[in-house]
Amino acid sequence: MKEDMMVLPTHRVNVLTGIKSAKVIEDASEYAALIRRAKRPLLVLGPKLAEISLDGKLLLEYALEIAKVVNIPLCATSHIKGKMVELGAKPDSEYDVVEIINHLKSPAWQGVRKEGNHDLVIFFGIRTDIGNQGLSTLKHFAPHLKTMTLCKYVYPHADYSLPNFRKDAQWKEFLEKLISSLKEEK
Amino acid sequence: MTEVAEKKEKKTRRQREVEKLIRAEDQWEPIGATPMPEIPDLRNWDMRLLKTYAPWYAPFCDLCCFCTYGKCDLTECRRGACGIDIAGQQGRIILLACCMGMSAHAGHARHIIDYLIERHGEDYKIDLGSNVAVEAPHIRTVLGLKPETLGDLRTAIEYVERELIHLVSALHTGQEGSYLDYESKALHAGMLDHVGMEAADIAQIVGFKYPTSVADTPLAGLGLASIDTAKPMILVIGHNPASSTNVIDYLRQNNLYDKIEVGGICCTALETTRYSDSAKVIGPLSRQLYYVRTGMADVIMTDEQCIRTDIVEEAKKVGSALIATSDKACYGLEDATEKDIDEIVRQIVEEGKQFLILDHAKAGEVAVKVALKLAPQRKKVLISESEAQELAKVCRECEICERVCPNLFSIGHGIRQVGQGNFEPLRQLFDQCIGCGKCEEECPRHIPIFKIMQAAASKDTFKVRVGRGPIMDTEIRNVGAPIVLGTIPGVVAFVGCSNLPDIDDVVEMAEEFAKRKYIVVLSGCAAMVAGMKKDADGLTIYERYPGNFDAGGVVNVGSCVANAHITGAAMKIANIFATLPLRGNYEVIADYILNRVGAVGVAWGAYSQKAASIATGCNRLGIPVLLGPHSSKYRRLYLSKKGEDDWRVMDGRKAEVVDTGEPSPEHLLYVTETKEKAMVMISKLCIRKNDTPQGRGIKLNHYISLYKKYMGGGLPDDLHLYVRTDRDLPIVYKKEAMAYLKEVGWKPKPVLSLPTLIGTYPSKVPLEAVIH
Ligand code: SF4
Ligand code: SF4
Ligand code: SF4
Repeated sequence: MKEDMMVLPTHRVNVLTGIKSAKVIEDASEYAALIRRAKRPLLVLGPKLAEISLDGKLLLEYALEIAKVVNIPLCATSHIKGKMVELGAKPDSEYDVVEIINHLKSPAWQGVRKEGNHDLVIFFGIRTDIGNQGLSTLKHFAPHLKTMTLCKYVYPHADYSLPNFRKDAQWKEFLEKLISSLKEEK
Repeated sequence: MTEVAEKKEKKTRRQREVEKLIRAEDQWEPIGATPMPEIPDLRNWDMRLLKTYAPWYAPFCDLCCFCTYGKCDLTECRRGACGIDIAGQQGRIILLACCMGMSAHAGHARHIIDYLIERHGEDYKIDLGSNVAVEAPHIRTVLGLKPETLGDLRTAIEYVERELIHLVSALHTGQEGSYLDYESKALHAGMLDHVGMEAADIAQIVGFKYPTSVADTPLAGLGLASIDTAKPMILVIGHNPASSTNVIDYLRQNNLYDKIEVGGICCTALETTRYSDSAKVIGPLSRQLYYVRTGMADVIMTDEQCIRTDIVEEAKKVGSALIATSDKACYGLEDATEKDIDEIVRQIVEEGKQFLILDHAKAGEVAVKVALKLAPQRKKVLISESEAQELAKVCRECEICERVCPNLFSIGHGIRQVGQGNFEPLRQLFDQCIGCGKCEEECPRHIPIFKIMQAAASKDTFKVRVGRGPIMDTEIRNVGAPIVLGTIPGVVAFVGCSNLPDIDDVVEMAEEFAKRKYIVVLSGCAAMVAGMKKDADGLTIYERYPGNFDAGGVVNVGSCVANAHITGAAMKIANIFATLPLRGNYEVIADYILNRVGAVGVAWGAYSQKAASIATGCNRLGIPVLLGPHSSKYRRLYLSKKGEDDWRVMDGRKAEVVDTGEPSPEHLLYVTETKEKAMVMISKLCIRKNDTPQGRGIKLNHYISLYKKYMGGGLPDDLHLYVRTDRDLPIVYKKEAMAYLKEVGWKPKPVLSLPTLIGTYPSKVPLEAVIH
């Protein structure tokens, strides 16, 4: 069986037991369309973005590029803000990952730009264990929003997830294609 | 009898029973509202806490598999066949975890108290030295009893046991349904846990004559290399010192004290160094499998808790003898308690048998005799780098090991590199590895990863300050005012197990706060890992900082059960400094701590149910706890929504409700991903409503400077919430902060004379009770 078709996460510590699990999407343009369709998306940035680079380009740079193309507000978790500032970007909000999730849970929350709660939350660069736990919270307690991940593993508790990319090159290709699709649709 | 009269009669019967148990005729302190509380007695306090710090659930599993109706899928607001929903189910699992954790400590307490009563009699006096008059703050506060003898400690444990039945019964299918009530019960379990831990450690201290009332306890050797491998070695694993002290006794009585090495893993190691100046702390829980697999131990002796449950097989693999000594962990072994000692020794040495021996003196003697006989026959050497390289060459970097690693390490890459002669990546991984052994278990090529790690691991030896037990009353007197006023910015307690994201994290964090003149307290495996790093001069944190409970001190209280002394110190501040009576007065004391004592627990590498109940007990007492990333798997946090929550408190002196808008402490149970964020958060969680302007200024100074150091400059975006008047602003940042406050439209806030939650929710406690 082709592994990417399975919903099993690469990191098996995150094995899901339940009936509702992520739609795994391999096609970056499909992801782009989902992001485009969202009225009030939010991009939650984790500390791994400052640690991992693909061919010399920091993941954070990909994240900032995505946010810029579609004007997605940013939430900086942990200590990622420092690196953002270095790269000349400013987060719209600073909450740690469990705090932003706690807010997202209530439909009446006004969101990071005070324009109403978000309808799509994209997670990028969070440790998979704490990330997947947080996604579980949203899956159970925030039916009013959809969640999406940009890390290279299946996140079973998200609504949309990337497949398990065996190689970083596949991940890089996905992110690049995502950015170009978002630009195209603009 | 009318129903009302009957009820009254019933109540008085319970009261009479309680009064007898706590010797109400002893007038040492007035008895508060809740002596020996039952589940409903502190429920209103719990609900008040849970209103601000609402449970945040992250289900680990979407199903409930508890009963034969099920399994039931609880996703998307479905209810189980019994009617429970996912929040209720999470609350239930939390209560279950807390009951398990609390029982582990209370079971240990019950055993050690009974054991010591058998030795010394139930009238054996509790004496913790001239500097500790408030001997048992938890037992005093929760039960209303001032324990004077070992027999009194048994009374405390019997109360815990009684309550436990009710808590566990609530877990049954078709009982409790509300997640809030599950949480209230979990908080009850957490509170009982601290009673049990306190009873256990007091019994040990007096029964084994451990050091107490000493700040400058000796330094013990730490690390595998601190063991002299030329000597026979006994390795003790677990938490209960009844077994290891008997080994030491036997060595002493038979002139063997310097002929055999005794080292320990986990809390029993810390206990043994409190009993013997030659015992060594081999290391924390996370290194257990690694140390066992080195085969350095001639005899492994297990007692209870935190032992690998496959220890029987693991010991066999490396030819170490195994003796189990606890009824809690028998491992299917033959019970040799009644057998002749020489026959047991013969069977172990000649036939390689493993036994359960429930007589501790006998087990101690057997362990020593076996070690002496086995050691000369065993070859104990760590593998060489070239051997490791050969073993690692088989690796195909398939990454299967990585997928099962709870820490998500590129372990396969590390192994592959060793195959090519580069040990560095594996060396780094070793410091982050939590020792679960899953990688090796899953490797399709059966590569002995742990063995290979021996070649990469540091061969250094370290020092850890021996556990000291309770904080002295005199120390509390000295620091009480500065802590409550905020001029000592906080007490930061690093507790919990060692599944840390990196072994250096705890020491880095402890050092940061010790340098800033917080009081740093450690216990259990966290205390060990803090000692596993040296500075440029080759000194560990314990050699660089004093061991007293004062600004800038780094204090190892001892094993996990000694955690009760940390929370106990916070209670003693209320009692000794603020002269609030402890006796049966839980709500008043917890309210005092929540509003005044800037204490924070950090369980950076918590792993067990014990950690869950310890943390929950801290929470009920008003002490926030911060967790490391693995602990998101505990599934529950207590989070506020700072700007949006209700931060009204009573100004006790004016008897007026005041809206402070100040989220202090912001959360009660919080998890973060990185140590950088943790440090910023710790400083913030030390902020309390009662801080004086001077104290608040100091606390904000640390909050801002840590924020600038770790979060990348600027000011924290919630700063305005913590500034009441401009006198709260630290001088160094005053200009910058004033500009910020102006920008966000900050307005000065009322200053409180005596902040309290009492009076803001239904309670048996009158407002006057908090005025002192
Ligand atoms: S306890 Fe309730 S939810 Fe769990 S399996 Fe039974 S019926 Fe289902
Ligand atoms: S599972 Fe074994 S073979 Fe595969 S990468 Fe890990 S160590 Fe190498
Ligand atoms: S033993 Fe260490 S490296 Fe191996 S799976 Fe466990 S944590 Fe990961």
